[in-house]
Amino acid sequence: MKTIVLSIFISLVGIVVSAQTFEIKGTVADANGMPLPGVSVIVKNTTKGTSTDFDGNFTVTNVNKGDLLEFSYLGYVTKTVTISNNNALNVQLKEDTESLEEVVVIGYGTQKVSKISGSVSTVNKKSIEELKPVRAEEALQGQAAGVNVISNGSPGAKPTVLIRGIPSYTGTDPLVVIDGVSQTLDDLNSLNPSDIESINVLKDAALSAIYGVKGGNGVIVVKTKSGKKNTKTVFSLNSSYGVQSVVNTIKVLNASEYAAILNEASVNSGGNLIYNDLSGLGTGTNWQDQVIVDAPIINHNITASGGSENTTYYLSAGYLNQDGVIGSGDKSYFNRTNFSANFNTDLTDKFKFIVNTSYANIKNSSLSENNIGSVLSNALNFDPTVSPYDANGNFGTSSTITQEIKNPLALINNTYNAGKTNKLNGKLEFQYKLADNFKVTSRFGYTYVDVYGKNFIPLQFYGVGHNSTNANSDLSPIVTTDTDGNTSSTHNRISESYTNYFSYTYELYANYDFKINEDHSFQTVLGASIGKNTGNNITANAEDIPYNSWTYADVSAATGDAASQTSGSWQYVNRNISYFTRINYDYLGKYLLSFTGRVDGSTSFGKNNKFGFFPSASLGWVVSSEDFFKSNVINYLKLRGSYGAVGNDNISPQFSKITTFPKYTFDGNIVSGSALQSIPNDNVSWENQIQYNAGFDLKLFDSKISLTADYFQKTVSDLLFNPTLSLYLGTPVYPAANIGKTKSYGIDASLSYNDSFSDNFKINTNFSFTTSTNKVEDINNGDKFIWGAGYGIPYTPLTRFEQGFSPGYFYGYKTDGIFQNQTEIDAHATQNGAQPGDIKYTDVNGDGVVNDNDRTKIGDPFPDFTLGWNVSLNYKDFDFNVFTYASVGADIYRAYDRNLNYTNKFSSILDRWTGEGTSNTEPRVTFIDTNNNRRASDRYIEDGSFVKIKNIQLGYTLPESVYKTTGFTHIRIYTQVKNAFVFTNYSGYDPEISSGVLDTGIDRGTYPQPRIFSIGVNVKF
Amino acid sequence: MKYFKHIIVLIALLFIAPACTNYVDYKAVENYEITADVYFQSKSDYEAAVVGTYDPIQWTYLNVLIGDIASDNSLSGGESATDVIGLQQIDNMTQTPNNDNLTSIWKWMYEGINRANYLEENKSKLDFDGKEILYGEVYFLRAYYYFELVKFFGDVPLFTESRLTATDSGTLQRAPKEEVYTQIEKDLQNAVANLPTSQAQKGRATKYAALALLGKVYLYQDKFTDAANTLEQVIGVYSLVPNYGDQFLKTGENGPESVFEIQYTKASKWYDWGFVPQGTEGNFGIIHNGPRAFSGPTYASGWSFNVPTEDLYNSFSDGDTRKDASILNMAKFAEDNAGYNNGEGVSYAEGYKNTGYFNNKYIPRAGETDGQPELNYLTNYRAIRYADVLLMAAEANNRGSISDDKAQNYLNQVRDRAFGDTAHEITATGSTLTQAIWDERNFELSMEGVHFFDLVRTGQAASKINSFVTGKNEVFPIPQQEVDISGLTQNPGY
Repeated sequence: MKTIVLSIFISLVGIVVSAQTFEIKGTVADANGMPLPGVSVIVKNTTKGTSTDFDGNFTVTNVNKGDLLEFSYLGYVTKTVTISNNNALNVQLKEDTESLEEVVVIGYGTQKVSKISGSVSTVNKKSIEELKPVRAEEALQGQAAGVNVISNGSPGAKPTVLIRGIPSYTGTDPLVVIDGVSQTLDDLNSLNPSDIESINVLKDAALSAIYGVKGGNGVIVVKTKSGKKNTKTVFSLNSSYGVQSVVNTIKVLNASEYAAILNEASVNSGGNLIYNDLSGLGTGTNWQDQVIVDAPIINHNITASGGSENTTYYLSAGYLNQDGVIGSGDKSYFNRTNFSANFNTDLTDKFKFIVNTSYANIKNSSLSENNIGSVLSNALNFDPTVSPYDANGNFGTSSTITQEIKNPLALINNTYNAGKTNKLNGKLEFQYKLADNFKVTSRFGYTYVDVYGKNFIPLQFYGVGHNSTNANSDLSPIVTTDTDGNTSSTHNRISESYTNYFSYTYELYANYDFKINEDHSFQTVLGASIGKNTGNNITANAEDIPYNSWTYADVSAATGDAASQTSGSWQYVNRNISYFTRINYDYLGKYLLSFTGRVDGSTSFGKNNKFGFFPSASLGWVVSSEDFFKSNVINYLKLRGSYGAVGNDNISPQFSKITTFPKYTFDGNIVSGSALQSIPNDNVSWENQIQYNAGFDLKLFDSKISLTADYFQKTVSDLLFNPTLSLYLGTPVYPAANIGKTKSYGIDASLSYNDSFSDNFKINTNFSFTTSTNKVEDINNGDKFIWGAGYGIPYTPLTRFEQGFSPGYFYGYKTDGIFQNQTEIDAHATQNGAQPGDIKYTDVNGDGVVNDNDRTKIGDPFPDFTLGWNVSLNYKDFDFNVFTYASVGADIYRAYDRNLNYTNKFSSILDRWTGEGTSNTEPRVTFIDTNNNRRASDRYIEDGSFVKIKNIQLGYTLPESVYKTTGFTHIRIYTQVKNAFVFTNYSGYDPEISSGVLDTGIDRGTYPQPRIFSIGVNVKF
Repeated sequence: MKYFKHIIVLIALLFIAPACTNYVDYKAVENYEITADVYFQSKSDYEAAVVGTYDPIQWTYLNVLIGDIASDNSLSGGESATDVIGLQQIDNMTQTPNNDNLTSIWKWMYEGINRANYLEENKSKLDFDGKEILYGEVYFLRAYYYFELVKFFGDVPLFTESRLTATDSGTLQRAPKEEVYTQIEKDLQNAVANLPTSQAQKGRATKYAALALLGKVYLYQDKFTDAANTLEQVIGVYSLVPNYGDQFLKTGENGPESVFEIQYTKASKWYDWGFVPQGTEGNFGIIHNGPRAFSGPTYASGWSFNVPTEDLYNSFSDGDTRKDASILNMAKFAEDNAGYNNGEGVSYAEGYKNTGYFNNKYIPRAGETDGQPELNYLTNYRAIRYADVLLMAAEANNRGSISDDKAQNYLNQVRDRAFGDTAHEITATGSTLTQAIWDERNFELSMEGVHFFDLVRTGQAASKINSFVTGKNEVFPIPQQEVDISGLTQNPGY
């Protein structure tokens, strides 16, 4: 009570004493005149002050003439104004370009760009908003130097993401850290890109070593949006609608051409004409036209963000629906609904609580793609003389193609699957400030995913005797009777599965920043982390769905007997424990030094190697801050260098497993047996990656031009993979061992130019360059190579991971034209089965015989370099953006030809060899290919280089006068074309072919990336 | 350092919380996995491991296909000249060390050996009733696997003590085939000593199965006296079924003529193409032999591999019931069933090297599969038939100059059954009888996967098989991968 009385008294005295003071009002706005809320307004050298309200207004009482008012706001240059009278003050704050690019989120903290001595690429929300990607990785393509993204056209599918080359065999997906929580690249399917504030790619060991054994493939650090304190709620609504279409088709034979070629092939192999009369065949059916459709893509997002004195919030809801361009929208789609909420509260002055929660629901369905059984492969290979539907309205069938290849419309019709994913992820985080410069963070991050999948295989008919047919033509089951009169029947089948994934990471760490003698700045982190990942699956299968119908397709509705009801399950768990530290030091911001270290323990490692240590160090020198450095051209120059170790623990825990899978039959009954299935390697440990990085940052001409370039070199020793051991060990799974070495090096660079020619006209352009060269240095593994992927029926292996070569290169025969006559065959090395008109294969080893030993490197599926070029122009209320991406030097292997006698052929066959001198590229046609002209050879290799105009966008922001009275604060409409143009010599659908690293560049009828025309609107209120 | 206190607390927290470093130890039981260190503690574990040792014997379908394709009996066939290129090459005798099919045989037979050795390794862990019989089966199976390897590859790495582990990779060299044969004999003698004359469960190895296999092994080494003595112990125990063809039908499985039969069933209803033949309990060899895109009664569609030649079909004498029981003459079959499907008749698609003939002993028959039809044919493989025992005994007696009378007797038992009369009996002796026995073997056993090995064993291969190179093609090449990884020597000529 006493104190209150006392204060009132003092206040009264104050009023009396300060008779000369007055009140000052005003507004604060940015350079464009937009009011700035939440700007701190302080009377300098006092504690007096306030902050601006939602409309940028402020009022400060009790000021004196001559007082200094300081206006400060994050991201703007602080301004000081001397008060001369009590007239309203209208203050404009300039954006602080230095500090806006500034803070990047790195592991367990943030750092100013100016003080970073490692290598990082950043993509900010502006780029993401311009591109409007379905998945966040798309925004990295060509925009983040050092990152190679190979997109996948299939709705919602994961692209290949390589950060600085292909160091590892066991997996190349980078670690993804969303708001401090470790996740995987797969998890980006559920993140709504419009919720992203920034993506930082930690490329070198200096930055990624803080993630230790998980950092070997680089780290993608995603920060999602949050609200700002003291701002009123801003609602933002974005909607777009687009139409997707496929631009290219592949030239195949029409019905008449097909029949003529078959006749010739049959006659060439001693047979009769197959089609005696070609005249009525016409062009027949172009199956590609039948299966390729225009499909919609719809995207809606609404967000609300703002904040009070103590709390900020960001709420978002998103909906995306993308239908496939192959097949139909009900058989191929990706549908995502997101909700997320980020809250940030100061519980007390010292105690901060952050909760981020994000929920995603994904529904999807897909048709078979990028394999010989895919819809596109069937469309390319199926008989063009068959009509889509027969006279009775049933799917047309072929009597000559009786295996694998079928009417693609029937295939689409008979494909039934559905997936549902429910995912909850987020974090609970407490930050406790022991002091202004000493903060302890306790963070629990989690991801909980439920995936439900259902697959129905109906009774289907593709013609009598077709090996995919399992029903009579009326779709009744085929019933067969054996010699005893027992019958057996075909069945339709249903499979349902539930998979649950749960992972969490608990981290406790402290950030302590201090200075010694003002000149020496230290930023330190020390912490520990403990994490666990689990997965559980249960699957049930059954037969005999009523009415052979998807409507009833559920295990619960199946009527099959007990023996047809089977189930299975699996589970896994792995755990990690880690300790980490980092010390950043700088002297006057000129000399930069950083050390990090992490100790990781993992259940994946062998008994004798449970813990690994991953250190790194980096140095930086801001040359332009030196006194001797005087330049009007160069505004900023920093030299950087780093060295460090990261790892990879991408293997499963090891143990001697007794499998109870082996079975044998006694008395006609199946009896379960056992066998030793796997053998542990107690010494197995992490891959040890040593990475060097050297680079510089340069700004020129008033910082309008900036250039960042880095050279890196990575050496992975102790490469993990399952070795190929002596075959006389039998067929068990032999343990992963650390027995290889790879080396990668390359350059990534980005150049940007920003300028305003006037208030009305601004340009912003950014150019990125990425290259890497990879080589397998050593495989301590008997035959020094491992087969990667292959293709076709019969299966032909194609890619290899081999000592002395780049990973995943194409391996096969070299061709040397066509044998024109028998003399040429006789003159050539012995090539079994060759006849005039067949392909001449090069006798690479010169032993006089063409055989398996003459196979060699025939291509490399990875590009020599990639380029991205982004241009944004603003003129008055119009904005225009073009993004171009180029990939140069990648090879593609064409593998979509089924090669049956009666399957359709490609138009190139029209230029076939028909006699001496007629062709030196296309072999003769025959039904009896004794020369095996279809063997894996460079004949199927094409240059996959391309330039794609990935994005063109034109937007118009309506002048405020239009909607002044409506309550809207911003209305923009735009139109966008994605994948607008593709310039390439590649003859297939799309030269971008994404898959696993050892499966890249094999075109089995890849899902093309559609061209998307869309229109949209952005509204704020 | 005013925060000293806090730092101490923090460091303490950091290191106490996760101090339990065994957090990153892994125990397989967390995922309900059985591990080797808890195994072989009950009789049932041993029984299961023996079943596991039988398992790879089901993966011998390629051995059987190659036994005829490599010979003059049948052609590779298939969809085209490049369909299963390994088999195409073997048909043309152009096989190279890079042959996936031969590599599979090598690996799968060694898997069987390793499974047997794993039991050997754990033999002393536990004693229980019936252990001798179980181990008799193990030794029988190990001998079976090694015999397949010796037949295909000649000298092969030999090991018997324990299952090999990763550290044994690359440490072994090929043992001379004589040593391998010695081990096979030893295993079979062990099996003979421990196995009962009959087993409650059909499909398990018996004493007679072991004797028959041992006799065969002796015969392959031209040890005629041992062969005769051993095989004669089996004579009289089994009988020839009256109607030759019946034993190859489902109803004829495990019949009175069957000495050892590899068991299959359609009951596993296997669907997964990616794990064949290991996953299925069906016979994956059967689908290979069927006519393509077949429409008609009795049979079902297949892949038209291993198609018998016209010469083989025509080589049978008139009145030999084995001709049409062994070989399906599709034209004749179509004629006989012209009324099928309301007069549509029988149809099929001609595959590569089509001859119009199919292997009627091992062929997809209607109603004999389930699940994914190609993967689940129930047809057992009659590995050792009594007729084979008789013919082997005949050969041993004849070539060992023991008794041509006995030889004729055994031979004529087989012929009498085939012709249904005694009018076709052979009375020749000496080398004429030898040739008659050899010829008879192919009339009796054609398309059962033994002919190529008979031709090689009897020195007839070069005269019967086109492109057969003496001194090279008696054995197949060691897989290149094994040469590269393990440093094994290659067979001559490859």
